[in-house]
Amino acid sequence: MTEPERGLAAASGTPEREGAYTGLADKARRYRSTLIAYGLVVVLFIIGSVHSPDFAEWANIRTLLVYGSFIGIIGFGQTLCILTGGIDLSVPWTLTGAAVLSSVLLKGSDANFPLVCLVVVGLAILVGLVNGIGVAYVGVPPIIMTLGMNGALQGLLLVYTNGGISSSPPQGFVNAVTDQILGIPVILLCWVAVAVIAVVLLSSTTFGRRLYAVGTNASAARLAGVRVRRVLLVPYVASALGASLAGLLLMGFTGQAFLTMGDPYLFTGAVAVAVGGTSILGGSGHYVGTIAGALILTLVSALLPLFWTSAAGVQIADGVILLGAVYAAGRRARQAGLGRRRRST
Amino acid sequence: MSSGTAEKAVPPRASSLLGRLPIPGLSTLMPYFYVAALTVAILGVEPALIDGPGAVDVRFSAVFPLAIVAFAQTLNLFTRGIDLSIGGTISVVTAILAVSGGVKGPEAYLELLAMLALGTAIGAVNGLIIAYSGLQPFLVTLATWTIWDGIALAVLPVEGGTVPARATSLVLGSIVGVPKSVLCTAALFVLWAWLRHTRFVRDLRAMGSDAERARLIGVHSSVRTVQCYSFSGACAAIAGIWIAVQEASGSPTAGDEYILTSIAAVVIGGASIFGGTGSAAASMVGAVAYLMIPDLIAATNISSFWSVFLQGFLLIVAVTLSALAIRVRDRKALA
Repeated sequence: MTEPERGLAAASGTPEREGAYTGLADKARRYRSTLIAYGLVVVLFIIGSVHSPDFAEWANIRTLLVYGSFIGIIGFGQTLCILTGGIDLSVPWTLTGAAVLSSVLLKGSDANFPLVCLVVVGLAILVGLVNGIGVAYVGVPPIIMTLGMNGALQGLLLVYTNGGISSSPPQGFVNAVTDQILGIPVILLCWVAVAVIAVVLLSSTTFGRRLYAVGTNASAARLAGVRVRRVLLVPYVASALGASLAGLLLMGFTGQAFLTMGDPYLFTGAVAVAVGGTSILGGSGHYVGTIAGALILTLVSALLPLFWTSAAGVQIADGVILLGAVYAAGRRARQAGLGRRRRST
Repeated sequence: MSSGTAEKAVPPRASSLLGRLPIPGLSTLMPYFYVAALTVAILGVEPALIDGPGAVDVRFSAVFPLAIVAFAQTLNLFTRGIDLSIGGTISVVTAILAVSGGVKGPEAYLELLAMLALGTAIGAVNGLIIAYSGLQPFLVTLATWTIWDGIALAVLPVEGGTVPARATSLVLGSIVGVPKSVLCTAALFVLWAWLRHTRFVRDLRAMGSDAERARLIGVHSSVRTVQCYSFSGACAAIAGIWIAVQEASGSPTAGDEYILTSIAAVVIGGASIFGGTGSAAASMVGAVAYLMIPDLIAATNISSFWSVFLQGFLLIVAVTLSALAIRVRDRKALA
């Protein structure tokens, strides 16, 4: 990556390598992976509707969207991490930690909810900062840093709860989370809020352009005046905050906090990002794609049991679809991304 | 900044001396230090855990499956790849062995060979997809892991079953007083001593440090990728056989824990996930260190949950030291 034109492309924040895109056909090519992802959402939805008529009813769609919200909220931070060429594998125990800690601290009453919220947010920022400092300032590979953090958090929580917990959040909190405003679930509204923040952040702020620049070519970004390390901190803090929010919502949704609640979310966020067309090498992609990715994963897990009755069949089909979806979404990223050095900073 | 290089008259300072050390070698020496430190600590608190009767066999029985998987994972990391599907392979192998408890006589040996072939085939499929689709190894093997875990679930829906008796007697026990677990682990070190100088490993390292240059000097990257992941699958199958025999039963999720622990062992062993560097021997010693932590915690009588924390903590410490070592080396290169 020594060619000056690549550096300039990186510095100007455009994920594309060469040439300007003009006209509708070119735009379609530019957003091809995102379009494919949304196409897949539509196809999956049609398959479901054909198979059973109540699939397309609002009640069912609402349920699906709520399930998708958890993946989508986690996917926000994960998108930022992956755009910089990183990944956050500390999501499961950050999520569990937020839920378990708050359920213990609340002690079954809503009285000190604001205070507990503050504690959870503070700890999430701390976890994110430690991850981010390790990655940005020390130069630890993100996958290892966050994996170690995940293990450390797991150990601390196991010690704290002595290996088991059966704690329920206060009823007021459960009611607030499972409530609906104008027929729209609160959890879904939270996702919408996160999505708006994510899209604005990536598309319309200087920070968003810096993030793409760092993900495309960190050296070029530094030469263009971007404070690479400071930019690299943000995705991990965002991811920890997102995981904590998801943990609180999940606790309200299921009505309890338990130690394995984060386990399914180790790779889910990253998979949603990849299925949504974001290159896992960093520098290209968008949260708009991640939304589609979260919807695809939710639809797949809702559809598969309709066709395969055994858990084994569902899991096998899940893997095959994952491979196919990543292949379909990753074509452009693959053509551009091969043979690149990934060392950041 | 390192100083003392500008003028010859100035004696070199400590920082510049540090910069001259062969740093990548240093990070692969760290796991030996961790093992030594942990041994001293355990000996200080509860010596029976190390020199008591049968302690060595127990220790190495747990170490061997992780060591062989870490061996394979090191080679994958050389190429800047990763193999998450070892979890699925181990699960499938243990599941198949657990439902074939009725196999009597020499057919059991054939079955073990079949498992080895299955593992190699699983790995070859991974390698083919990675080499010819251009998808990231992380995503490909994440998908194949899911698929093979599903197949394991189809073979053996719940934990249990029995393993063929012949397989058990082949793997367990000892030869002239030395436990087979120790012999097998030693064999892995011998294998590495030979393998490290072969064209195969050099090619893998070349692919990981610079794919384009590797191509220019005539490395057949696609072929090597398929070979590398096939080897990884075969190693996972051996680990699966070992685990099934040890537990005397199977579990459809037996392999899942080995995915993250194998990566942890390799990283504690000083290999870089950015490819090219590392040593399988150091990774295996990393596996030993990783598995000694629960022993230390057990010896000190504090809550066993601390070992989970300490394992994560050791991972962060090890990788931070490697990162700092690389930083010092790069600084030296600039000076």
